[in-house]
Amino acid sequence: MDKISIPIGPQHPLLKEPLSMMVDIAGEKVLGGSLRLGYVHRGIERLAQQRTYVQNVHLIERICGICSHVHTTAYCYAVEALLGIEIPPRAQYIRALMCELERIHSHLLWLGILAKHIGLETIFMHTWHDREMALDIMEEISGGRVSHAANQIGGVRFDLDEEHIDMIRGILKKLHSQVDGLVDIIETEPAAMARTKGVAPISPDMIKAYGVVGPVARASGVDIDLRRDAPLPPYDQLEVKVVTHPGGDAWARTFVRAEETRVSLNLCEKILEDLPEGDVSLRTPRRVPEGEVIIRAEAPRGELFYYLRSDGSDKPARLKVRTPTLATLSLLPVQLAEINVADIPVVLAGVDLCIACADR
Amino acid sequence: MEKFKKRLTILNAVIEALIKGPETVKYPFGDLALPEGYRGKIEFDPDKCSGCGLCVRDCPADALQLNKKSREEYTLLYYPARCAYCGQCEDSCHHGAISHSNNLVGATTHKDDWVLVFKESKASQE
Repeated sequence: MDKISIPIGPQHPLLKEPLSMMVDIAGEKVLGGSLRLGYVHRGIERLAQQRTYVQNVHLIERICGICSHVHTTAYCYAVEALLGIEIPPRAQYIRALMCELERIHSHLLWLGILAKHIGLETIFMHTWHDREMALDIMEEISGGRVSHAANQIGGVRFDLDEEHIDMIRGILKKLHSQVDGLVDIIETEPAAMARTKGVAPISPDMIKAYGVVGPVARASGVDIDLRRDAPLPPYDQLEVKVVTHPGGDAWARTFVRAEETRVSLNLCEKILEDLPEGDVSLRTPRRVPEGEVIIRAEAPRGELFYYLRSDGSDKPARLKVRTPTLATLSLLPVQLAEINVADIPVVLAGVDLCIACADR
Repeated sequence: MEKFKKRLTILNAVIEALIKGPETVKYPFGDLALPEGYRGKIEFDPDKCSGCGLCVRDCPADALQLNKKSREEYTLLYYPARCAYCGQCEDSCHHGAISHSNNLVGATTHKDDWVLVFKESKASQE
């Protein structure tokens, strides 16, 4: 059968963000594909060198619209490491709480997208409704639904009072039962299983060869999670259950993310229980001493890497960000080979790409 | 039996959704309950402003502009269309002159002309 190349993207109903793919097909079989990136490149790393450390917190937040908080968390920890300060424990816990809420809403958003792509529109509606609960908490405590602006260099910008904590506990409880129901449906529903089981499996060797991180790696049985392996505070004091599955297929990736949502809900409750007393921020100098630092944080999609170099002024000399999606993207053409054309949406949605993060 | 039970759960969810009505609010006809700490429209208290320019220095979106001739003679301008509503100015101001309210921000078709004078010092008015 003749080989035909079909373009998908940069603008395509399947994609939420611009990404260009050329997929080679022969009949119903996909032979392979190639990628073109850079459609949402905004030059943020370069821009960061022209702005002060304080202004950069808000710039960094705009790298991603979903995992915005973990980006600023990694950046703030990097600046604080160069300043040689440790933020108050209460601020660390509030940062972790926001990170976990972000993971919940990111995974629920992704679950909805996958459900939509496999034809389960009802699940899509329900997950996105439930995701709003996590967003409601974040809006209530930080003042912003998507751009939370929770972090500042030296701590966080808001404190939690008893009223907030009661409100969060109430919503988390509701969310817990909703997520349990959703997970049950996604894990047992025959239609969902038929569309995802055995689709585009990735072996642990491939994961290691391509440097894939996060839930995609964990769904292939690779036991990595920075919250446990190289924890930023306060994760060193929290016990994080790492969810893995040996399957490696699209269903295993669904299972891992759904279970992780539950783990994050439990972690949120634990954080609220252990929340220490005290201040939430420190006053910090505007000029940062000369030096360089590397910070790694576990974003909803995997390991997030920040490199920051200071020349002693109030602006960074170099900021380098490596996002988890980059590794997943490199594996995408391999995953596309030997699948059916109808499974392309499942593969694309299954790995949870964040193009804005990867392009910056 | 299991399958039948599951169908009942979904049916329950559908009936619940029917009774509850829509989740969305018909804004501006319905009441939008925004939380107290929502970072919405920026409020300014000119009496508290000392013209130090800390807010201008820290604004990541260049939404604030200070035209300063001397310590007493200055004008502080605000461009709402440039503003990112990040709350940095509120944090940077030592005098509490800038604060976010939980009101929604207006809209414009001419964003470059949308300038608000936050403060014109007495000296510059004369």
